[in-house]
Amino acid sequence: MIEALFIALSPSYLMYMTIGILLGLIVGTLPGLTATMGTALLVPFTFALPTGEGIAMLGGLYVCAMFSDAIPACLVNTPGTPAAMATAFDGHPMVKQGRGQEAIVAACFSSALGTMFGAACYLLLAWPMISIALKFGPPEFFWLGIFALTIIGSLAGDSILKGLAGGAIGLLISCIGISHATELNRFTMNIPELRGGVSLVAALIGVFAVPQVLSMVLGLRKQEYIAEYRAEKGVILKTMIKVLSKPIHFLRSASIGSFIGILPGAGSPIAAIVSYNEAVRWSKDKTKFGKGNIHGVTASEIANNSAAPAAMIPLVTLGVPGSSPAAVIAGALMLRGLNPGPELFATDGVLVYSFGWSMFIAGIVVFFVGLLATPLLVKVIKIPLRLLAPLIMFLAIIGAYAIRNNIFDVYLMLAIGIFVFLARRLGFHPGPIGLGFILGPIIEPSLVQALYISDAVGVQKIFFSGTINITLISLSILSITAVALSRFKARRAAKLA
Amino acid sequence: MKIKLETIFKGALATFVGMSMAFTANIAFADYPEKDITFIVPYSPGGGSDQMARRLQPGLEKALGVNVRIVYKTGGGGAVGFSELHRSKPDGYTISNVVVPNVILSSKGDGVGYKPGDFEYIGMTESAVGALMVPKDSPYKSLDAFVAAAKEKPGMLTVAGVGGTGADRWGALADILGIETTYVPVSGGVGKMMPMLAGSHVDAGMTASNHATKHSSIVDALVVAGTQEVGTLKGVPFEPEWSYVTTWGIMAPPGTPADIVATLNAALNEAASDPSVADTLGKAGYNTIIQTIDEVNAFMDAQIKAYE
Repeated sequence: MIEALFIALSPSYLMYMTIGILLGLIVGTLPGLTATMGTALLVPFTFALPTGEGIAMLGGLYVCAMFSDAIPACLVNTPGTPAAMATAFDGHPMVKQGRGQEAIVAACFSSALGTMFGAACYLLLAWPMISIALKFGPPEFFWLGIFALTIIGSLAGDSILKGLAGGAIGLLISCIGISHATELNRFTMNIPELRGGVSLVAALIGVFAVPQVLSMVLGLRKQEYIAEYRAEKGVILKTMIKVLSKPIHFLRSASIGSFIGILPGAGSPIAAIVSYNEAVRWSKDKTKFGKGNIHGVTASEIANNSAAPAAMIPLVTLGVPGSSPAAVIAGALMLRGLNPGPELFATDGVLVYSFGWSMFIAGIVVFFVGLLATPLLVKVIKIPLRLLAPLIMFLAIIGAYAIRNNIFDVYLMLAIGIFVFLARRLGFHPGPIGLGFILGPIIEPSLVQALYISDAVGVQKIFFSGTINITLISLSILSITAVALSRFKARRAAKLA
Repeated sequence: MKIKLETIFKGALATFVGMSMAFTANIAFADYPEKDITFIVPYSPGGGSDQMARRLQPGLEKALGVNVRIVYKTGGGGAVGFSELHRSKPDGYTISNVVVPNVILSSKGDGVGYKPGDFEYIGMTESAVGALMVPKDSPYKSLDAFVAAAKEKPGMLTVAGVGGTGADRWGALADILGIETTYVPVSGGVGKMMPMLAGSHVDAGMTASNHATKHSSIVDALVVAGTQEVGTLKGVPFEPEWSYVTTWGIMAPPGTPADIVATLNAALNEAASDPSVADTLGKAGYNTIIQTIDEVNAFMDAQIKAYE
């Protein structure tokens, strides 16, 4: 493993990894260009390199995109990839309060720490962690999805009913297309493009970017900039101390992130959501979340970054990628005639470990690249809205098109965008709708599979037995009860006052 | 004099236009290809079709002398990419992966807009047969043990497969074996099935044999389809009556001129016969295929008939 560290520290590894990181900065910042897409586009270029350097470059891009997707999430309330949705909940309010630099530095520092934690798990705990992850079958995934849904309680804003309705709308839209099990057309209205389902990325751009642009345009006469912003001295150090002053918060977010990153099919977006939910639950003052709490940003960013290296764990232990970008990296290895899986430890052990070290080092490089880029990036706030709104719209359209090279996705994004804009005026929060989109593809197939299995073994045994199921069900009930209690108390307090 | 000059001018112009038309026509038919070719991959990056495209890309570029650009048009079990190709100009500058029987099965959906017989097929390059596999620590060490257990408790054993296509294919084998089991559809491909097998959440899984080869550290194959042993799965029995074969190849839009199809076929065969390509395929548990245009057309006709 030490030998692998020296290889990962060799100049050529560092150079290509840094190139990957710089590309990741661009890919993550632009909504629509996801880490999956970025790695897939980069794969052909890595063929000119030796395998180790090639995958270090891909790994660098992946982890940096998991940081840089926070930049548009904070600045313009549009997550750069689905993984940054929870970052926007507190990141954007921070920017609005004039704390733009603080938000980006917090995202950057917590991303760096998260990446290093995830890489450490990959290097040290790959086998014990995967043996726990394998205990997750269809019913466990179903309950995990339900548990993640309970975050609606802390997102819903004034009306819990509107929050639930928003989540249901999101889940329903995620059902559009050919059904997973029986291949029935659902809500496709004879439009061939809908058969493949609504693209998650295009839908999220619709939910977040389009309403943002529309409200910018509507507010133009009242407001010329997104927010006030002045560069402050010493913000970097102060922010780092703020992040470091909560070690338990860090450990919780990073453990959640790494563990959910390992589960094949769950990935960074769910890691960030669950981690944010837990941050709210364990906080003493829950009301501060969603209104610019720095720990909302760090919870999401620590988790989605630690999930990235962790998603490589099932790849090297089982030969199964834990996320879509990990699948692309697996493809890149297979094209070189390497078989990603446990045999790789025996045949190319140095490669397996040097990749882990590369991701660890990538965490450090991301921090410095992020710090250097921050002063430049926060200048976005200084762009007047009359220029910024068309710019965001332009990027949104390119992003929605780029994900599948399909103009239909652009129309869909605009339609969803206008719908969410109107819904927002009626008091709906866009968060639950986006949450439904992300969780639908986890909850539905696992529910269907679990129901099929229950034909053989019985409903009670499949859904309501086993430690993980019971734990997840209890946590969900706890979550819902806590929200109900706090709302009840708040209402009584309001009545008394 | 003036009139004469004009006539000469007109004549010269006509000759020029005629010549340039002949010249462009010449380029269009004899000198194909003269610009980059777009290669549609109808499935996600990193998947089987993407790997096939990337494996053949350098050989195709070398044989054709132009760049081959890979684009992804995913969704609808391949239907989105196939219908995109169907709508493309038949000039040989847009080609796509084809997976048989997926292209036939996906065309049955309403509103897809293509028939498998419409396309110009360039050639098939590899195939894999079906395999039934169990986790390494499964109590069923052989096909006989699995069948005996399934007969003892009908419907109690669970078998995972990919989507509705998998259900049909598993149904065929279950009928041959005379057993009754519970089928569990997995969405999102084989990548999701392997963790379910590794964690023993289902009793068995059924998919193409190349996956049994790739994941030989997680699963053991019990039986494969076809009339012969699979090279990478020595000692695994085969079931001649089970006709589950998946074949990968390349196709062009309907109406692509025959000489362009011939050029592409020659380039594809050159790319596919590269020793490194054949070696990778062999190790991964595929059968390598090299076909003439007549062979691929005969193959497709037979396949379309078989699935009608």
